[in-house]
Amino acid sequence: MSVTMLADAVRSEAYRFARDRTAVIWSVLFVPVFGLVAGGLGQMFLKQKMGAISNAQLPPGLLQTGTLDMGQTLVSTAGGLANPGLLLFILIGLSTLFAADYRWETWRLTSARNTRPNLILGKVGVAKLLILAAMIAFLISEVLGELVKAAIFHRQLAFNMSGEDLGRFFGLAAIAWIRVIQFAMLSLLAAVLTRSLLAALFIPIVVSIGQFFLMQAMPLLGWEPGDWIAQLALPGLAYDTLKALIQQGAAGAPEGVVYKAAISLILWLLLPLAAAIAWFGRQDLSKE
Amino acid sequence: MTAVIETRALTKTYGAVRALDGLTLSIPKGGVYGILGPNGAGKSTLFRILLGLIRPTEGEAIVMGGAIGDARASRRMGSMIETPRFPPFMTARQVLVWLSTAHGLKPDAARTSGWLERVGLSEAADRKVRGFSVGMLQRLGVAVALITEPELVILDEPTSGMDPPGIQEMRALIRSLADREGITVILASHQLLEVQRVCDRVAIMNKGRLVREGSVADLTSGGERLRLSATPMAKIMAVLGDRGTVEGDAVLAAIPRAEGPALLRGLIEQGVDIDEARWVGADLESVFMSETGSVQTPEAIR
Repeated sequence: MSVTMLADAVRSEAYRFARDRTAVIWSVLFVPVFGLVAGGLGQMFLKQKMGAISNAQLPPGLLQTGTLDMGQTLVSTAGGLANPGLLLFILIGLSTLFAADYRWETWRLTSARNTRPNLILGKVGVAKLLILAAMIAFLISEVLGELVKAAIFHRQLAFNMSGEDLGRFFGLAAIAWIRVIQFAMLSLLAAVLTRSLLAALFIPIVVSIGQFFLMQAMPLLGWEPGDWIAQLALPGLAYDTLKALIQQGAAGAPEGVVYKAAISLILWLLLPLAAAIAWFGRQDLSKE
Repeated sequence: MTAVIETRALTKTYGAVRALDGLTLSIPKGGVYGILGPNGAGKSTLFRILLGLIRPTEGEAIVMGGAIGDARASRRMGSMIETPRFPPFMTARQVLVWLSTAHGLKPDAARTSGWLERVGLSEAADRKVRGFSVGMLQRLGVAVALITEPELVILDEPTSGMDPPGIQEMRALIRSLADREGITVILASHQLLEVQRVCDRVAIMNKGRLVREGSVADLTSGGERLRLSATPMAKIMAVLGDRGTVEGDAVLAAIPRAEGPALLRGLIEQGVDIDEARWVGADLESVFMSETGSVQTPEAIR
């Protein structure tokens, strides 16, 4: 019964969210489409300006020669899926998903139809799908961007992806997904605690900025990247540790740090979720 | 008689305010049950507790055989609390599909259209709810409460914001739910005439307590009173004492019919100028007034 009711919660949340065109467009489609269009225009502009310049005069980064390897594009894009730009727009959708029931006063409609933990977990389920959809759309736009580049500069296309590359691609995509879900959990907790859409949007960003400065201040604090406190306080550092492990193997991550990073990521997922469920369970939903 | 709702010493406090004060109530299965009370009587608080939106401070409630918040029991209920609101980007039809899905039902176009038709929203079925009037939102709220085919429906002010034809339609719908489909309907309303017309039983609440409960027929029987339009009213009240109540520009005398002539003679002898005297039957409004001590104002009695 409980699993069925959880499935009901996920289905109904997904049904509703899919009809919120504004949230879907901003959180899933805007970055890939804007990136694709802006990237294409940029390439055309570059092509026009480069007409009179020989390749020898161009800095190496702007050289448009050789084969474009789509396989490597996928792997490198997977490594950047948790980028701040994409995250910011995903948070627009997440904040709507988590906080809009307070704004629309619709908790009272759903809360009598399911258990409160299920209602929260239903939203989390849809959040995971939303993040996945946004990342897939971003990957597709990057691949299309490479195709556009190849067409504009008449470059050859190739697709080289070894088994190792494939593992790296899925590994990087998976931890990027988890990293963004962490922000989603902070957004959820902020939404439940404050009942505010803006708080659900900005608190994860503020926390992220705070962690960024904390990471810069690590030498001042005497923290080493492998310290428990650094890994636990800075999930971004934990993410970087695991990312380096996937990209470079054991050489990429300091010895004995990986499990600390993994524990940090898991804690940053579970603690905000548990706090949100506990708080929501006691919340007066008649005051929305 | 099977009860769909039973509360025992149900209490809810907000700081120093006791919104519910030891309410013990049993609502039988079947029929339409009205809950009346002036503003602040605790009706909405009671509904919110029954629906699991808030927790009682003390006491307990059994709803459809389950404790408050029991999701299985809750799924056998439908509800509309206050003016319902919906995601503004959804159409009425989408709202029904969404909440059916939340309830574990597969989307059923025929069922959805059927309920939209029954509440008079067929033509607005595919319009976004952001453009709906309060009355249309009320209608959709009722459809939402009923789409899952519940055994018990709780409706808070179901005719609020509706025009007179809409009120009539809603009254007919509520009666048919109870009479033809065997659904127990509990409603709260300020519209006492509506309650009298549609309800089988009524509970009158005041200051968080149950002050009167019974069938509408029982509550309104035997309450005949002599309505006197006369001056000065102070002299009449001095004669009647606590048997008299002032209602607007008249006094209602709760006396047996046999004492009427003697009372009138006595008042005339005392110099009271009687403009009109007639016997009036008790209605729910007068019962409500006497039980709650409410002042009749347009806000209290709409």
